[in-house]
Amino acid sequence: MDRVVTIDLGEHNTVMVGHDRFFVFRSAGKVQLVRDSCPHRGGPLSLARLTPDGKRLSCPWHGTRVGVAALMRTAIPMVRTGDQAAVILTDVDAEAPISVIRRRILANLPPVAHDEGGPGMARERERGARAGVTVG
Amino acid sequence: MSRYVQSELANPTRFLGSRRILRARRVGEWTSMVTTANVDLIPRTAQVPPSGLTEQARAYARSRLSTGEPTVLHGPNPYRRMLVPDAVAEIDFSRPLTADEAAGNRALSAHRLLGTFYEADTVLLPEQGLAELRDDFDLFYSEELRRLRESAISDLERFAYTFLPSEVDVTGAWTVDALDAYFQHAAKAAEVGESAALVAIEQSRRPEVAADTYLVQLALDGLTEASAMSKNLGGAYGPEQSALFKIFIDEFGYGVYESKHTTIFAKMLRSRSMATHVHAYWNFYLAGPLATNNYYYYLSRDHARFFQYAGAVTYAERVFAPGFVKMIRTYRGIFGEDVDLHYCDEHAHIDEHHGRITREQVLLALAEKHGPSVIPDLIRGIAEAEFLGGWFEADTADQIRWSDAIDRYRELGAAALSSSGEPRRVTLTPDTPFGTRSHDGKTVLRIVEGEADLVTQATGEPDRLAAGDALLVPAGRVYGLRAVSPRCAYDVHVAG
Repeated sequence: MDRVVTIDLGEHNTVMVGHDRFFVFRSAGKVQLVRDSCPHRGGPLSLARLTPDGKRLSCPWHGTRVGVAALMRTAIPMVRTGDQAAVILTDVDAEAPISVIRRRILANLPPVAHDEGGPGMARERERGARAGVTVG
Repeated sequence: MSRYVQSELANPTRFLGSRRILRARRVGEWTSMVTTANVDLIPRTAQVPPSGLTEQARAYARSRLSTGEPTVLHGPNPYRRMLVPDAVAEIDFSRPLTADEAAGNRALSAHRLLGTFYEADTVLLPEQGLAELRDDFDLFYSEELRRLRESAISDLERFAYTFLPSEVDVTGAWTVDALDAYFQHAAKAAEVGESAALVAIEQSRRPEVAADTYLVQLALDGLTEASAMSKNLGGAYGPEQSALFKIFIDEFGYGVYESKHTTIFAKMLRSRSMATHVHAYWNFYLAGPLATNNYYYYLSRDHARFFQYAGAVTYAERVFAPGFVKMIRTYRGIFGEDVDLHYCDEHAHIDEHHGRITREQVLLALAEKHGPSVIPDLIRGIAEAEFLGGWFEADTADQIRWSDAIDRYRELGAAALSSSGEPRRVTLTPDTPFGTRSHDGKTVLRIVEGEADLVTQATGEPDRLAAGDALLVPAGRVYGLRAVSPRCAYDVHVAG
């Protein structure tokens, strides 16, 4: 079923729905609610940093590069009016517990000054390319 | 009802402005661009069309249709609307309105202009016939004013509504189910939420006057109802067009004038001994209600915004029914059976159907047929209509509360005088055209000579101010002063 959650963006930046987590991602003047899960291995994208060009997030687990534009396209439907937002969660278990909290979101910090891709990224890049994401 | 209003209603010819007077006013520095029409828009010294929105707005506000009459109410003349040229002249239109300027002269003056522009694209004829008003009719619909409106309107819309996308944002990947879930959520919030204006009426020390103030805001749309909707009836867009037409024909009383919603709205006003002609209460419309009413024209004029319109009208039709149920409860509590609420009963009933029809046969049908790309527009219409509806309510409630507390604002005005800046002096006589205005920031008025009546609501007794009296006017509160002594002067202090 569809459920609607209202959040105060001045107070909260994370929505927990059952075992799923979503975070408020701010980019290019847009405020979006995106899944806090890297498409590679489920790493926490909220703790990812923007690459120097600001176009991708570098997942803290394996350095997977997730395009900001691609992430935005999969954002959860949300209507923001001022600081209040209504989030529409589709196909959610009616009994799933929902909570809104505030956490540190590194993904909303300015881009890092230099590329943080580490050794061993080549293999992950190859896997990531097959999965539709860029690695390292 | 105030003594002014009573005397004006008893002598309607005062409103008409005879041809003799109009012609006398044309003598002087103004000249006509067209000999067959009484156009006195362009100064003789500058017979080129004004360019740039600031100049265009000032030029329109200088038209003799916009400079007012000494009466508090506007007469049965749909072409004349006091635009308070001095207040328009204060505005730099190159900087668009922001959300935090909702209360202020910039918003009020801009939306008065915009509403006038929109209505000039509808047919307005006075109930009493055109005989006395032919000159005004010719000028209102003249080529000069039409060209001025056409050259200014897109920029004026941008000025007035540019803040909306930053205030209301729609993001994410939407489906029809998600659209419906959001719509039901927004509708439910309106249904269970309180009306700020009705709460203010119930808490008012003069609930009858406050209730009239709310009627005045509703009259803005109520006496020209569904005019914006009519602009979406043309073209060819399938079953959804027919669904919208069903609503339109209800609004228009199935071709029976006595059943037209505007007619039964007038009955409600009449039961309160209020004037029923279009824009009698022009001076008392607030920025929020004007912006809300204009919004539906804004979406209807530009068919690129059709899906936004569909979302907005679906939201409006859905929330009207519970809204009017609340209004009936409040008005019965105040007036008992001494008010005709047929209009509210009609909406409380028919909008149950309109809410269902628009949701099922317009909103969801358009989304199903035209796909995900239109859903954000539909959603935006719902969310912006909700946002502007909140402004309507808050602005009306704030005006009622301020008007109720004038004695306290006299004290605040006196206290604020010491810290205010250099004043601007205004001089009035009983024949000075009456207009209302607001300010962008806190302002102190101080009477320095004579006496004036402070008018803040359309009915009820005005507050008398005498030499030495001061008044704090918060940003956005609408007031007018009318001299009751042969001459009255007051200073306008910016108070921060």
